[in-house]
Amino acid sequence: MSQGHDNPIHHPEVQMSSSRGYFTGFLISLGLMFLATFLVASGSMPPFGLLMVITICAAITVIAQIYFLLHLDISEHNIWNTVSLVLFIPLFIITIGLTWWMFSQLYLRTMPMMPGMGMH
Amino acid sequence: MLVPLAGGWNPLLGRLALDQIPYNNPILAPLFVVVALGALALIALITYYHKWGYLWKEWLTTVDHKKLGVMYIIIGLVMLFRGFVDGLMIRTQQVWANGPDSSGVFGAVHGYLTPFHFGQVYSAHGLIMILLAATPLLVGFMNIIVPIQVGARDMAYPYLNALGLWITAAGAALIMASLFIGDFSHNGWFGYAPLFEIQYSPGVGVDYWIWTLELLALGTSLGGINIIATIVKMRAPGMSWFKLPIFTWASLSANIIALTSFPALQLALALVASDRYLGSHFFTAGLGGNLMLYTNLFWIWGHPEVYFVILPAFGMMSEIFPVFSEKPLFGYITMVAASFAIAGVSWLVWLHHFFTMGAGPEVNSFFSIATMLVGIPTGVKVFNWAFTMYRGRLTFSAAMLWAIGALFLLLVGGLTGMMLAIPAINYMVHNSVFVVAHFHSMLLVIVYAVFGSVIFWFPKVFGFKLDEYWAKVMFWLFSAGTVGVFVPMYMLGFMGETRRLDYVFNTAWHPYLVAEEIGIFLYCLSVVAFFVLLYVSIRDRVKNQVGQDAWGTSRSLEWLTHSPVPFYNFAVIPHINERDEVAWRRQHGLVQKQPEKYLDIHMPNNTGMALYIGALTFVLAFALTWRIWWLCLGSLVAIIALMIVRSFQGDAGYIIPAAEVERMEKEALAREARIQTGAHPLPAGGRPVPGEAIAYERQDKL
Amino acid sequence: MSAHSSTDPKTAVLWDTHDHGHDVISTRTFGFFLYLLSDGMIFATLFAAYGVLSYSHSYAAGPTPASFVHPWYTFLQTVALFLSVLAYGMGMGGLKRGSKSGLLSGLLAAFVLGVVFLGLDIHDMMDLADHGITIMTSGGTSAFIFLTQTHAAHIFFGLVWIAVMILQVMIQGFTTDTVGRLLSLRMFWHMQAIIWVFVYIFVYLWGYMS
Repeated sequence: MSQGHDNPIHHPEVQMSSSRGYFTGFLISLGLMFLATFLVASGSMPPFGLLMVITICAAITVIAQIYFLLHLDISEHNIWNTVSLVLFIPLFIITIGLTWWMFSQLYLRTMPMMPGMGMH
Repeated sequence: MLVPLAGGWNPLLGRLALDQIPYNNPILAPLFVVVALGALALIALITYYHKWGYLWKEWLTTVDHKKLGVMYIIIGLVMLFRGFVDGLMIRTQQVWANGPDSSGVFGAVHGYLTPFHFGQVYSAHGLIMILLAATPLLVGFMNIIVPIQVGARDMAYPYLNALGLWITAAGAALIMASLFIGDFSHNGWFGYAPLFEIQYSPGVGVDYWIWTLELLALGTSLGGINIIATIVKMRAPGMSWFKLPIFTWASLSANIIALTSFPALQLALALVASDRYLGSHFFTAGLGGNLMLYTNLFWIWGHPEVYFVILPAFGMMSEIFPVFSEKPLFGYITMVAASFAIAGVSWLVWLHHFFTMGAGPEVNSFFSIATMLVGIPTGVKVFNWAFTMYRGRLTFSAAMLWAIGALFLLLVGGLTGMMLAIPAINYMVHNSVFVVAHFHSMLLVIVYAVFGSVIFWFPKVFGFKLDEYWAKVMFWLFSAGTVGVFVPMYMLGFMGETRRLDYVFNTAWHPYLVAEEIGIFLYCLSVVAFFVLLYVSIRDRVKNQVGQDAWGTSRSLEWLTHSPVPFYNFAVIPHINERDEVAWRRQHGLVQKQPEKYLDIHMPNNTGMALYIGALTFVLAFALTWRIWWLCLGSLVAIIALMIVRSFQGDAGYIIPAAEVERMEKEALAREARIQTGAHPLPAGGRPVPGEAIAYERQDKL
Repeated sequence: MSAHSSTDPKTAVLWDTHDHGHDVISTRTFGFFLYLLSDGMIFATLFAAYGVLSYSHSYAAGPTPASFVHPWYTFLQTVALFLSVLAYGMGMGGLKRGSKSGLLSGLLAAFVLGVVFLGLDIHDMMDLADHGITIMTSGGTSAFIFLTQTHAAHIFFGLVWIAVMILQVMIQGFTTDTVGRLLSLRMFWHMQAIIWVFVYIFVYLWGYMS
């Protein structure tokens, strides 16, 4: 508990920030978001294909941000943050996925559904 | 934006008015007098003995994890008592209000509780037992034991730890306030949509329920972060993952569950609040709301929560069995794996709370199979405990009896749980008291483990043992009560008694209800035995003093330091060589070996800030309940302002010089030696409390 | 138990006599990251609720996101937020060099851009309210508005925090406490960008599509 005498600026978590990394992350994110917005606004693709494309855009953006912005990797200083994120992600998917699954099944049985009026 | 209210409202006091005080209620008004007199007597006693300063300096502003843990346990025991009284009221109502000929008093047609009041009693019983008895008791033990077991001086964030305690205390205070100001929810502890919507529950009861749960969820999440970070970041040198004591492993898996699942509860209740305050349509029956969505969101938290409370109880049992079998824990690795398997699977089973929703065979089958999977790691644990005892040198001390009782109950509760995991059976007994009996068996596993731990770790915290004779008397009375209440309840469940009946129509069930009433009477006797146990133990505290290894056969790191544990835990942090470090040191005659030199110790300062913020969260929750908007805004701003002030102050902590550490250690070792020789080591009137026996008087400010 | 014979008791080290201490900063940032993940779980649950409440019947024959979302308007919010996150990152570059002015200008820019984001969001909500679309309209709009405004509330508290940090660094300089908080705030602010990606793609754009 006696790190007070060290200069906090030399802490590895300070030193790992990289302006070039932030800039790269920013460009990737903004580019992909622009692409997604453009495709959606112009409506030039069939809905299912469009959904796939924007989902992929979101996935790449998030991975880029986690890597470039949060600096999560398996280095010694970040390993526990990475481990906890890896433990959490399945739970996010379970929460959303199983809820969606059980209610789509429920709606299938209880709601009058017209063709093409499913989940969006 | 705000929804219109049924009753009166004024800008100064919100919905609060004199007619909300139940001064003419024949049950609550006398109770209020008793509580008020008790509080006055307590204040008078503290003033008479000039203990306010001591209380403030040593307890209310403390950041010491042991004292915070003790306060958690006190909250837990007090609320366990309140929840027990609620249970007693439920049982008495049912045995009384049985059949059309049964009499009624106090405005009730049958029995002595009106349906609305009965609804509040069972709702409060459930909420209190799970979130204000089981949870604080377990969090208290994790608070006390985990930092010592990993060889740390305190939690990773001592201030946050105090904050968690005071927010939990605010939640307890809020639900107690609902007794005498307004009323409590009558929707069951988990809430029924859309019954809790403002049209159907126009009073403040549901609002009390929402904000109590929100406070408790917040407090527990903060505690969860703290314990995980303590285990990950604060382990003593040499303590690799597979040398971690088993209770610490159990705490880690449990707190991972807490951290991941409590947000779901916070959100579910925020959405209920949004419906009730802002008029949104999340769980309404019309306008696109979905009432089953609430049930879904609640149990996303609700089922992991069940394992959050059971896993530390398993950890406690895993500590108690080896010590009283004089053998190492059988299957340590599988025990750890089983804890994490249970934690993982806990996320895949929540739909079994509402199989009857009708989500279809695929969904029900998935959740049914996942639920049955829980039986595998739990079975591994049961066999591990059995093999730990097998061919061991068993001592049937009181702590061991409680642990064995927990093991039996786990079998009963676990096997009935397997029955309930089958949707076909579940449809039959859904909402019956069979389910109630099942989860009471499981939750009693926790109560048994907690009482076992109270006896097991009491000498570590206070420096003297609890009286064995009265602890055993309490155990047998309590177990007789368990049989008396819950065996008939299983039977009634199969006969078709549904849960939460304020009036039991079938007179053929009367003998069973009487048996349950006898059972709850035995529980009452065990409560009396507990008070006698405390009285006798404190009276004989000098005689029952113990040294660092209270049981003589203990294994994990907390037994390496003095009893009671000094406030800095270890004079010098031990270097860990083996999994059961203390057992290993004892085996090689190293237990008495002291460090050659002492070092300066860095400790965090006490602070009143956590207490202030906790009190303000109570004010905020109370103001939200009664819709006193100016007070909501004021307390919220005050909370944020205090947090900012605290961030500017920071805490540099203070240093105990090595010479001072050496002096205190000498004192503690001399005390230890006196206990060995049987001399009476306590000064007359000395009261051992955690960290006080050799407390360090600091010259600087406090 | 093979573990019981691996250490020689005669030579074993029993006490840690060169108290190595704990890394205060990374202990704090780890705990804060755990908090952020649990906060992420709040959003995951909220997305689950939104998924259930975004079927066509959830809007009770009222307006759906397809009729009230304007992709290019919300794209402006995206630009503002990403720029704000970038500015914060540049500020952290200043911290890395030990430059107080570099850090403060980065934080200030992040603050201003965050205010722009929040202003655009509030304007959007006012506009919806003018068209009679509020949290009270239907289950679907309840979920839409609650989800997007929960994110906005995070931005609001992030802005308060940035303002506090600007003051704190000006007064106290770079201490263990302030640097630790700057690192935690960095994770908080970047996390808001990550969550915004999900909000933008799956609530705004997907809602507009259907």
